[in-house]
Amino acid sequence: MPKPIARKPKKKVCGFCKDKTAYIDYKDTALLRKFISDRGKIRARRVTGNCAQHQRDVAIAVKNSREMALLPYTSTAR
Amino acid sequence: MRHYELMVILDPDLEERTVQPSLEQFLGVIRQAGGTVDKLDVWGRRRLAYEIGHKVEGIYAVIDLTADPAAVKELDRQLNLNEAVLRTKVLRPDMR
Repeated sequence: MPKPIARKPKKKVCGFCKDKTAYIDYKDTALLRKFISDRGKIRARRVTGNCAQHQRDVAIAVKNSREMALLPYTSTAR
Repeated sequence: MRHYELMVILDPDLEERTVQPSLEQFLGVIRQAGGTVDKLDVWGRRRLAYEIGHKVEGIYAVIDLTADPAAVKELDRQLNLNEAVLRTKVLRPDMR
């Protein structure tokens, strides 16, 4: 019987908590681009490793940014 | 009095040097209502992530101001009536 692969959960620390970021600016597209995929979708929390609060802040910032055409809603890659 | 941050996207067909004076004209509403304009930052021409009204570029400007809510609401209304304004966003950066 195959043993279930024991996966060690790697504890990620939220980058924003570490830097004590209070406000994620929607104008900082260079930062926000790290949290969207190449198709323009917001990356999941399990990918980014953000805490719940900061993931929500990122999501809001990305959406604000999209409204002002700083980030794409969709990218026509592929 | 509250602190606001306002972002405006203007028509790219405008002359870039006329942007500052025309924005100042809009901001007259704030000054008349007793508010202050703390910072006016014109980013200049920038490519839009998607087309807005068949335009691929826009002139971005970010304005920091302190004013009463009613004055900001009026400013936003007047900006949106103007055809040279593609889009606006009013935010209160101290909300969080």
